[in-house]
Amino acid sequence: MTTIQSTLGAEEGALGRLPRPERRRTRLRGQWTGLFLTPAVLVIGVFTVIPMVMTVVISFFEWSMFVPLGEMTFTGLDNYSRLFSDSARIQALTNTVAYVGLSALITVPLAFLISLLLYFPQLRGRNVVRVILFATYVIPTIAIVIIWGNIYAPGYGPLSATLEGVGISAPAWLSDPSWALLSLVIFNVWQMLGYYTILLTAGLTQIPAELYEAARIDGAGVIRQTWSVTIPLLHRSLVFVVLMTIINSIQVFDPIYLLTQGGPSGSTNVISFEIQRTAFQYGMAGEASALAVSLFMMLVAVAGVLGIVLKGRTR
Amino acid sequence: MDRRTRLTVAGVAAVLLLGAAACSSGSDGGGSGAEGDAQSITFLTHWGPEQVGMLEDAAAAYTADNPDVTVTIQAVPFGNLLSTLRTQGSSPDGPTIAGIYDAWLPELVRDGLAAQAPAAVAEEVQAEWPQNVVGAASQDGAVYGIPNEVDLYQLNYNRALFEEAGVAEPPSDWAGVVDAAEKITQTADDRQGIGFITNWNSGATHPFLSLLASNGGSFLTEDGTAAALDSPEALETAEFYQDLVDAGLTDPSMSSANANTTGPYLDNFVNGKTGMIIMANWWEGALRDAMGDDFANVGTAPIPVGPSGTESSSISYSWMTMVNGNAEDSVQEAAWDFLTWLNGPDSGEDGSSAMADILLSMGILPSRTTDVEANAEELSSEFLASYVASLDTATPFPTVLGGAAAADALQRQVEALLNGQKDAEQAMADAVADVDSALSSAQ
Repeated sequence: MTTIQSTLGAEEGALGRLPRPERRRTRLRGQWTGLFLTPAVLVIGVFTVIPMVMTVVISFFEWSMFVPLGEMTFTGLDNYSRLFSDSARIQALTNTVAYVGLSALITVPLAFLISLLLYFPQLRGRNVVRVILFATYVIPTIAIVIIWGNIYAPGYGPLSATLEGVGISAPAWLSDPSWALLSLVIFNVWQMLGYYTILLTAGLTQIPAELYEAARIDGAGVIRQTWSVTIPLLHRSLVFVVLMTIINSIQVFDPIYLLTQGGPSGSTNVISFEIQRTAFQYGMAGEASALAVSLFMMLVAVAGVLGIVLKGRTR
Repeated sequence: MDRRTRLTVAGVAAVLLLGAAACSSGSDGGGSGAEGDAQSITFLTHWGPEQVGMLEDAAAAYTADNPDVTVTIQAVPFGNLLSTLRTQGSSPDGPTIAGIYDAWLPELVRDGLAAQAPAAVAEEVQAEWPQNVVGAASQDGAVYGIPNEVDLYQLNYNRALFEEAGVAEPPSDWAGVVDAAEKITQTADDRQGIGFITNWNSGATHPFLSLLASNGGSFLTEDGTAAALDSPEALETAEFYQDLVDAGLTDPSMSSANANTTGPYLDNFVNGKTGMIIMANWWEGALRDAMGDDFANVGTAPIPVGPSGTESSSISYSWMTMVNGNAEDSVQEAAWDFLTWLNGPDSGEDGSSAMADILLSMGILPSRTTDVEANAEELSSEFLASYVASLDTATPFPTVLGGAAAADALQRQVEALLNGQKDAEQAMADAVADVDSALSSAQ
């Protein structure tokens, strides 16, 4: 508090040292800034901050959503303590970590590799490839899910039929607990790869060509240039892509709701699907809110770690 | 007051105002008419366009005789029905009437959303419907809804495959199932003797519980507060599944469902790759559409009896229509009157109710006694007769708080068993723990 007051005091002091007309102009500018920011602040406050605060509040209550908020029953930390005593929730947490980890491990290197292939060789038609790659991100998930539901169909689906055709026994993609989560990861990679590739390609355009030229003069090959020039100078974009992959993957819901409903045997149940099921099917909005708050805290933690990594690399 | 203080005060005021608005959402407010005025009723259902059209026709016929009452139909997919009720139901202006699954009733009654039926309606329900169906529409002895459809499970089998495999009759016990499944599986590489549905909770749990009920066991204890899956009968049922999996007589990948109750389980039965499957009466329409003339090959038989069982018993569940307990009294009164007419013998054809006519258009069994009598000919079809005959010995799915979460917990273990992830003993032990946890959390 002392620090804030002293800072404010310093600002007042600095303002006080300005000539009177300049001081008035600065104050006026501040008031106009406040006025113009008010609508945005109000919108964010009403539609983001208040629901978030209410979610945290509800997480300490028992509430079925059938009764008004005023009739909720206070349960303290019970909703949080149950998160780690229920096997379905523990499985949802494990599945989420596996889904996010696999998605990041596959998507980011693949997007990096494709962005290099699309950026450096001066090939005709590479813009068309970029558009095609990005299209998977633009098409609504529901439309893609219909196609992938058929692609993954056991026996008669094109994927299984192709594998069977070359003598490979195809797994039951969505109905085998050992394969179902991986099948959804493949779907996620396919859907998001284009978006991340475009982000990384945009990052590559920011690296000065002179650096590659200097590296080549020093005798660096393609691999050395990638390792010593591209990756260090692209690390901000890479960290951003990793963060986006994690955030998008941690929130996965649509394909699970539409393709597997969390099954078979809970193998594709993730936290976001468990939140929906707990709130809307079981009528336990308090527990669902506790799950949502926990998910949010996980995201904050991940973003914090990546922020520290980024800061460390910058120094 | 400086600027920061003013901002803080404004923020707190905004939160309080929004909170107050949210808290007041369930109080008496709006409504769709006062005593003596025109009444507007909303009917929330999960039916498809054809049945919604029939319901609209019935509502128009009611309005013709009762010009002060108009009925608007609001249709949502089955998967969104409960979530729509949660987001709209608590308001007096939410749906006045809703078609609900009986398992949802305990929670709706606890939270005051389902209105208790007036005495005259309750008397009619108790007099005209079978007692197990009335029980599912009641809580603590009071009736809260008018039952309409009843669903149960039977063994569906492919006669052509049975003939090819040299099996003369559908199996009546578990040993017969194993024998028939072995013979059918041997007829071709890509065939399974019997299919057990996965990836869909009712599809996975109801057949398991039907076999358990036909082996003398039950899902929950009598008071509905704990799992009864640690019984020898439950273990035998799980071992029956395990034996079929180990012998390669069932292939879980061939019987998975997608999220809207279609998928490989339907495709493989329709295409003659699954010899037997335990399924509900309502899929008759889907089978007819998909099989065409080959539908004649579909036979229906009672659930095979287990070694510890004495008679075949299917799990049954029912649907009912309830009235919004937060709606104004006059609106509730109009809603009950409409529902009484809709489910009564004067609204449909030849003594059948309009509700029964709508249900039968989907191959669904009506539960009112007079409807069963009025539609006796249709209900005696080769496909439905076995379902109708099994109504008396059916075991209602328990309608208790936490029932949905308990069923999901059992589904996980049944699927683990079918996929060979757990043996019978482990699956039942884990099911007991998870079901108990789900029930204790909800109750």
